[in-house]
Amino acid sequence: MIKLIILIAGVIGIVFCFSPAFSDNALPSASPCCRQDQEVTSSQGEKPAPIQDKLTEDQDESVAKPDQPQEPSDQEESIAEEEEEGPQIADPLSPWNKAMYHVNDKFYFWVLKPVTQGYSSVVPEDMRVSFSNFYENVSTPIRFVSNLLQLKFKSAGNELVRFVANSLFGVAGFGDFAKEKMDIKRHDEDLGQTFAHYGIGHGFYIVWPILGPSSLRDSIGFVGDRFLHPLGYIGPGELSLGAAAGIYAHEEVNDTSFHIGEYEDLKKAAIDPYISIRDAYVQHRQKKAEE
Amino acid sequence: MKKFFSGLYLLAFLMFPLPLFASVPLTTVEGHVNSVLKILRDPALKGEAAKKTKKEKIRTISEKMFDFAELSKRTLGPNWKNFNTEQQKEFITLYRDILEDAYMDRIMAYKDEKVIFQKENMLSGDTVEVQSNVITKTAETPINYRLILKGGEWKVYDVVIEGVSLIKNYRTQFREILANKSPEELLKVLRKKVGKA
Repeated sequence: MIKLIILIAGVIGIVFCFSPAFSDNALPSASPCCRQDQEVTSSQGEKPAPIQDKLTEDQDESVAKPDQPQEPSDQEESIAEEEEEGPQIADPLSPWNKAMYHVNDKFYFWVLKPVTQGYSSVVPEDMRVSFSNFYENVSTPIRFVSNLLQLKFKSAGNELVRFVANSLFGVAGFGDFAKEKMDIKRHDEDLGQTFAHYGIGHGFYIVWPILGPSSLRDSIGFVGDRFLHPLGYIGPGELSLGAAAGIYAHEEVNDTSFHIGEYEDLKKAAIDPYISIRDAYVQHRQKKAEE
Repeated sequence: MKKFFSGLYLLAFLMFPLPLFASVPLTTVEGHVNSVLKILRDPALKGEAAKKTKKEKIRTISEKMFDFAELSKRTLGPNWKNFNTEQQKEFITLYRDILEDAYMDRIMAYKDEKVIFQKENMLSGDTVEVQSNVITKTAETPINYRLILKGGEWKVYDVVIEGVSLIKNYRTQFREILANKSPEELLKVLRKKVGKA
């Protein structure tokens, strides 16, 4: 019953993402939070409008604004505008998202970081790397299926090879034999990237408590991926929720142990951490989708 | 027959990539990054007392490595014109301080890892992207530097870490801020941040 509900929600979500109001291309006109983008793109469209500067030889997008005394040279001006816009995402849920950002921030500093630091002090690095390899190996079905769905047959094949090699020679996946001895690297794909491959936009930005930043599309992808994760199918019956959550927690803490400090650096570097994280998420996902 | 072979040799020679021009951006960045890493790894410069010296040394390198004026213009984009000359100058200085700290912190985290400079791609007539990889125990982190040729020198105008461009990231932040605040207020925010950091 629950699965049926999730399935229906997923289908509605996908249809939603496809709708022009939320596709990445139509964004500037749709979303109120991207007003500024709209101004930028519409003013850049005014190419044929008379340009007040005399030195004009470039075909670049110059905005037809009245001359100001501090006007830089034409070339500098056009470089400043020519720089392509990064990927954008709608953020209609921003009050919720900002609240969740604060929740996650506290969660990181009060819970995740201390637990991880305690964990790291007890568990030596080699063992943590082995655990990391194990969890990566176990989640092969997710990458395999996503590679297949994107018609990346060679990568899908590689994932299969990696799984067999690591399970056998890496000894149950604790060693990454395939990367070290066979030089076959992981082809990181997930359902969210598969959706991106077929042109489905993010929909909008959502920050989940504890799970962190995501988007409508990627959240649906995440749920879909969990169905492919072996954790759901271990044992004669299904693993109890507590045990599954516990294993997931271990995986996350183990993974975080290699990334302590990055979040702090990001906060320190940012003028507005919430926006910085949102933008970093969107850029990162786009890069992964392009790979 | 002879003519044919000499033609072939000429063709082969022409097809052989000219390493000299192509590798200048790469060696430039590699040199700068290695200098910064050397300072960060220097055991003599550990601790609070040495922090100032460390910062000054890295400042010298970063002035050579980055083109902060270019960075500032590209980050603010169309908003650059809304700052008067005074404000532009101050922005460049404040932005430089913020970026240096941010970049240094990131590089610090990787100072014990292996950094490999791999290759470069031409992006346009005078811009190039140099790709490097930081090899950690569990993953490889790509850090790419985008350079522009200015006055005969290659200078960095963007750093892309795991697909996230520094310029784009800051541009989004500044744009949201400038949607509600004036340039002077933005400068106030930046002054506070640099004063604190």
